[in-house]
Amino acid sequence: MADYDGEEFENARKEMEGLVERSLQGREVKPNVLFAKLSEITKSAPVTKDLIRWSRQNSVWPMQFGLACCAMELMDFGSARVDAERKGYLLFRGTPRQCDVMVVAGWVTKSMIPEIKRLYEQMSSPKYVISYGECATCGGPWFESYNIIKGIDQVLPVDVYVGGCPPRPESLFAALMKLQKKIGGGIED
Amino acid sequence: MAITRINIGPVHPSTHGVLRLVVDLDGDTIERVEPHVGFLHRGVEKLVETRMYMQSPPYMEKLDYIAPLSYDEAYVSAVEKALGVEVKERAQYARVILLELQRIASHLLAVGTMCNDLGQMFTVFMWAFKDRDMVLKLLEEAAGNRMFYVNMRLGGLLRELPPDFEMQTLDVIDYMERRIPEYERYIEGNPVFMERMKGVGVLSQKDARNLGVTGPVLRASGIEYDVRKNNPYYVYDKLHFSVKSLEKGDNFSRYRIRMMEMRESIRLIRDAFDKMPAAGDMLGMPVKLRSPAPVNKEVRVSRELPRGEALMHMVADQQKPYRLSIRSPSFINLAALPDIAKGYRLADLFSILGSLDLVMGCVDR
Repeated sequence: MADYDGEEFENARKEMEGLVERSLQGREVKPNVLFAKLSEITKSAPVTKDLIRWSRQNSVWPMQFGLACCAMELMDFGSARVDAERKGYLLFRGTPRQCDVMVVAGWVTKSMIPEIKRLYEQMSSPKYVISYGECATCGGPWFESYNIIKGIDQVLPVDVYVGGCPPRPESLFAALMKLQKKIGGGIED
Repeated sequence: MAITRINIGPVHPSTHGVLRLVVDLDGDTIERVEPHVGFLHRGVEKLVETRMYMQSPPYMEKLDYIAPLSYDEAYVSAVEKALGVEVKERAQYARVILLELQRIASHLLAVGTMCNDLGQMFTVFMWAFKDRDMVLKLLEEAAGNRMFYVNMRLGGLLRELPPDFEMQTLDVIDYMERRIPEYERYIEGNPVFMERMKGVGVLSQKDARNLGVTGPVLRASGIEYDVRKNNPYYVYDKLHFSVKSLEKGDNFSRYRIRMMEMRESIRLIRDAFDKMPAAGDMLGMPVKLRSPAPVNKEVRVSRELPRGEALMHMVADQQKPYRLSIRSPSFINLAALPDIAKGYRLADLFSILGSLDLVMGCVDR
């Protein structure tokens, strides 16, 4: 996925600092930590890359987006029995702009491809995709159907695949833990 | 005032799947709703024509993924009718028990997600899913999988119910019986919920009849029609239960009717365990590649699913169906949405949609 050390990251940092500076013009009171410049934070903690990775790793927000049967297990994942919040997978978000990971749960029809692509493009940059269940992974039982694509990986780059029809909610938990490992640099692409 | 046309979906947190709604608004009042379906279409009816009879139940279960067993049973009984297979008596009771458990699980999910749609009531969703998991665990013990069971075989079930199944089920339904009043106290004590449900989304008795809605939506509008009572199958005519109906036909009645039906299902399960014969077995025919030759060329089987009446119309061929046509309750109920929602506010659209309890997999097929 994206490399955070590159030019893009530097540009974003410059832009952010410019914004903060402009908003602080003419102020004499020292701003609190929320409005501090990114460079000031990095002065106190020199391991920026690791810090950002660590915080990303521990706040993976999935998108509230269900296609078919597997969405039922996705809902179960969000409920009380599988206590997902303890590992940082917070509440499902209704808008793609606040999300880090898209869980594709269910079969992908030809008419849904543009919509899914659009949702993926609306998500903010370090974004991940989990293919949840047989249908999203390879077409599953609908392999011979005329309206189903054989796997979401024909459309989007997938990070973790989960097998099963449908996989248990615990499998999604395991998949998200694997994704955390990947974000943290434990697993190479 | 000018009409504003807005688009909702196909990916929206409150549409319970991928449903696209094009809404014409006059200010905040709904002038017209146009549901666009087909985002989950995968051609089940065509796929089934290429499969042997007993290869199809997994496809049928994926139609209505909130109550998979019910569709499985409807399809298998259509095949049984076509091939002239009798269902063993003990298996009939076991099927009734499993179907009613599935109905409880389905209605719990319906109530939970409906409250979730109305905002600020995530508690009911959590409760409903916790209790639904208990029911799913029972079904898992009986069938072997958590969500898709494929438990029905020609003339019976895949296997006997586990030895302690009766005890466990009675425990769970005793718990459920204590739990339902708790739900009601919590939900109906919430003024926001009551404000958004009572008197909103009224479907009159005449409209309900004309639009052909089924299941809880029909019964909430004052028509006492239930396939289990009006056209009984299996041992439903030997068991004690009553069909509930309410007069008003608003969102609140549709929610109430689901709570009442859960109570009736609990009664049914108890009664079925009491009357279940101890002798005999419930094993069906093992799945073979070649099935017996069909006796009836064309069969219709009507079943009361948690969402309403489903009709399986099958034209039988030697080894596989020549044609299978499915009348799905969700599709019919969705067709009533434009008539119900007209004249209400935009925010009421989702409470109406939640109370109709649609499954998009069943709508699109």
